[in-house]
Amino acid sequence: MISRQSLVHATILVVSLLLGACGGGGGGNDAPPPVSNPPPTPAPPPVSKAEIDAASRMIQRASFGIAYDELESAAQLSPETWLDQQLALPATYHRGVMEEVLSRRARGEFDAFEEDIEYLIFGRRIAWWHNTLTAPDTVRQRVAYALSQIFVVSDRVDTLEIYPYALNTYYDLLLQHAFGNYRDLLRDVTLSPAMGLYLSHLNNRAADPARNIFPDENYAREVMQLFSIGLFELNLDGSPRLDANGRPIPSYDNDDIREFAEIFTGLSFGGPGAFFGNRDEPNFSVPMQMFDAAHEPGQKQLLNGFVVPAGQSGIQDVELAIDNLFNHPNVGPFIGRQLIQRLVTSNPSPAYIERVARVFNDNGAGIRGDLRAVVRSILLDPEATSPADPLTVSGALREPLVRYITLLRQFKIDSTDSLVAATGYLIQQAVNQHPMSAPSVFNFYLPDHTPAGPIADAGLVAPEFQITNATTIIGWPNVLDAIVLGDFPAETPEGFDPVTLDFDPWIALADDTTELIRALDSLLTAGQLDPALADVWIAELDAIEDRSFRFRSALWLFLISPEYVVLQ
Amino acid sequence: MKMNRRQFLNHTCATGTTALTSVTALGSLGMMRSASAQTAGDYRALVCILLAGGNDAYNMLVPTDGPQYAAYSTIRSDLALPRDTLLALNFPETGDRTFGLHPGMGRLAGLINSGDAAMVANVGTLLEPFDAQAVENGTATLPVGLFSHADQIAQWQTAMPDQRSAVGWGGRMADLMQGINLANGVSMNVSLSGSNTFQSGRTTNEFSITSEGDGALSINGYDEDSFFGDFRRRTTDSLLSPTRTQILRSEYRRRFRDAIDANTTFATAMQDAAQLQTTFSANGLSQALRQVARVISARDQLGASRQTFFVTVGGWDHHDEVIQNQARMLPMVSNALEEFRDALVELAAFDAVTTFTISDFARTLTSNGRGSDHGWGGHHVVMGGDVSGGRLFGDYPLLADNSVLDVGRGIYAPTLATDEYFADLALWFGVSDSDLALVLPNVRRFVASGSGSPLGLFGG
Repeated sequence: MISRQSLVHATILVVSLLLGACGGGGGGNDAPPPVSNPPPTPAPPPVSKAEIDAASRMIQRASFGIAYDELESAAQLSPETWLDQQLALPATYHRGVMEEVLSRRARGEFDAFEEDIEYLIFGRRIAWWHNTLTAPDTVRQRVAYALSQIFVVSDRVDTLEIYPYALNTYYDLLLQHAFGNYRDLLRDVTLSPAMGLYLSHLNNRAADPARNIFPDENYAREVMQLFSIGLFELNLDGSPRLDANGRPIPSYDNDDIREFAEIFTGLSFGGPGAFFGNRDEPNFSVPMQMFDAAHEPGQKQLLNGFVVPAGQSGIQDVELAIDNLFNHPNVGPFIGRQLIQRLVTSNPSPAYIERVARVFNDNGAGIRGDLRAVVRSILLDPEATSPADPLTVSGALREPLVRYITLLRQFKIDSTDSLVAATGYLIQQAVNQHPMSAPSVFNFYLPDHTPAGPIADAGLVAPEFQITNATTIIGWPNVLDAIVLGDFPAETPEGFDPVTLDFDPWIALADDTTELIRALDSLLTAGQLDPALADVWIAELDAIEDRSFRFRSALWLFLISPEYVVLQ
Repeated sequence: MKMNRRQFLNHTCATGTTALTSVTALGSLGMMRSASAQTAGDYRALVCILLAGGNDAYNMLVPTDGPQYAAYSTIRSDLALPRDTLLALNFPETGDRTFGLHPGMGRLAGLINSGDAAMVANVGTLLEPFDAQAVENGTATLPVGLFSHADQIAQWQTAMPDQRSAVGWGGRMADLMQGINLANGVSMNVSLSGSNTFQSGRTTNEFSITSEGDGALSINGYDEDSFFGDFRRRTTDSLLSPTRTQILRSEYRRRFRDAIDANTTFATAMQDAAQLQTTFSANGLSQALRQVARVISARDQLGASRQTFFVTVGGWDHHDEVIQNQARMLPMVSNALEEFRDALVELAAFDAVTTFTISDFARTLTSNGRGSDHGWGGHHVVMGGDVSGGRLFGDYPLLADNSVLDVGRGIYAPTLATDEYFADLALWFGVSDSDLALVLPNVRRFVASGSGSPLGLFGG
């Protein structure tokens, strides 16, 4: 009890210190502004609240969030125009940030601090956080993150955590192909050394029966089960195809796994001086290299009667196997449904899945696998854009990690350092989620996770509830205290400047509680806050004299509300 | 032996179709009126310690008689521990064969030799008794994803090696038995390591606590009698009132409300938790077990007559530096177990609590030059006042070049199924023989209905 009390007192103390500082003239533009003209007011061309809400809804699904003034500008564009501007932006890659951290380390900037190895880990994490929090191509960053939850690798394998380029390079690959073609994505994932290490097809060698050595089947299984076609044959709308006895039809069997395992032999780390079997000097910066001497040379019988002839080079084999998976009719509905779940709704209708799968199969120009067209079709589908109806099942529980990132971007996280050097530990401790840190290749949650009770009874799924337990559900409001009340948005390692949020315009706006709630409702809940609840909050918040504490309390309430956590 | 690994591994993959029947059978589990442990008052707890990553158990429990130490030394080569450093165990049933414990586990050796703990030899995931000939012929039915961390660490928790499942056998016990605890929102399954498969049921989830303070989390200020506390409580409650109906929002609201209430109930109960005289080491395992002991001391306040506890200790995947790493980590386990025993004795609860270890697998007997790779069967510790201590249960394999159990590279197949190991624990916990297959869906492949405890771990 004592510790909790002191925490609250500490929180209040932090808040009062903050208020003191604001009143003391440290901030610069802190004079009480006229009530009529606080900063987050509409730009000259008037935009209705309904238009802002609609833009907010799409942008919060499509991206890691934008600030209120940017939202007002975005609302002047059609959703298609805003999205197409985003889709046209060049990718912001992680490698450059990692290189900057390593060069700072080489210059000795961190010598006074922790062990080298921690800075290797920090560097990788900073690359992810700096880019995710600041990159202009936030839709691409968001889609890459969604892909990282389908094509899972995890830093719970020590080698991937410690080698600085292991996960950066992998994530850059997801960024590169996020709006490219699924076939290229699947091939590059397959040849990625991070994936090769994670699912053990790196240094997987041709059979040597005399020495009891046979190809490892790990990647062969998961590339089918998780990355391309799934366990059962699907109709275009995602429903399982059934045999004459009404049973689902397996997409592949053990023999298929064995044949694919032979395909994925002969790969090891690439780069100068590469040799098959190398474990001690991993090169994560380049794709795995094929060593034909270690590749299974025989014929392979793949799916749907497709035969890879004997005697080809290993890379030819891999390319044909990727083609075989890519052209399987399951891919559109299987991958399409999961991307819909990550971006829009846990329970898309079969018709929605079918519309997206048709775009996957043909982008309108005869091209299969165009992910840019798939992402566009997901976000602009009528089922996504039609008005939210609280009586329907539409929507998804937002992952705590996405909530956190969106919050920081919406309130303009910044640093006097050239890098916004968050490392993610604050949120990871509170909610046990961090990018590329899933407990297994099955991600943080399964696409078909269904919580017992009303959701299961209704035949629905809700994947993100798999990580919503008594600890994480309380961890969220408490970590918000640090961010919202304590002005501590993220931890940064020694050697980097701290990060800040910009609450000042909002504190000014808090003179008018009704206006404050209205603007926060647009920014955070896309106009979905229950009006009756808004009235309760306005009465409560009006009783708080201090404008800063009033705004911060309002923000905290929004962020823990069901209407925010589940965006429809 | 020369075995056909291709055929062998061929059968380690399941397509998922066999999974459907057993999942359907389990669907009725939550609604079933159970014959299991209906009587309150006789408190019992199971404490599961997961050594995540695959503990090299063949260097934890080592043969010390002349012929077997020689065989051990040959096969393990640079990984063999010197014979004179091993700590003698006085197992009564092993005849000429003698065994010693890792030199860093002196306190566990004491617990075993004093009868407070026992060991279980060569237990692992199986779907049928291991038959080398059937494996050779390709007719054996083998676990999904044998030798893979993700699958094996899950199967030790699900007791379902034939499929991938998110439901654990601790969760299935709670689905059956939660009702005998007071209905106060605090789950029978308490985790010191967050969400986990072992304690996930179909209708019951783990209640997650921390090792710090009294373990419970609550919203900052929510319980405070102050302006801030009142404001927090009123406004938080305002958004948790069940008035609006979107189904996902309702579920979030319900879980949020339950989490607040359960944490409040838990925190209140823990105000009466014992101030233990026993001192615990500072490491994570010791601190977690200290908190478990404190929760057990508050069992009456919690209204709990059955509880499981789950603690994970990671870092056992010793492909490298296995000797150095085990020398550092096994003493931590040994010391923590003794501290936990002392605390439970202090609470007069040692007879009511059984602690057991699980791990992904043991490791290859052969060396890879730096460490050992993924294996299969392994040895485990069971501790408790009800345990027939001082004994070695199961069959420690005879180590030999041509062992029929060696499926390649010194990977020894299990001679005892996890189902048999878990059956003893579940029956002791109060699962009835008629409910046993609801908790351990494959148990009837190994243990006939009505035949009682397969190992006799308890009360022998």
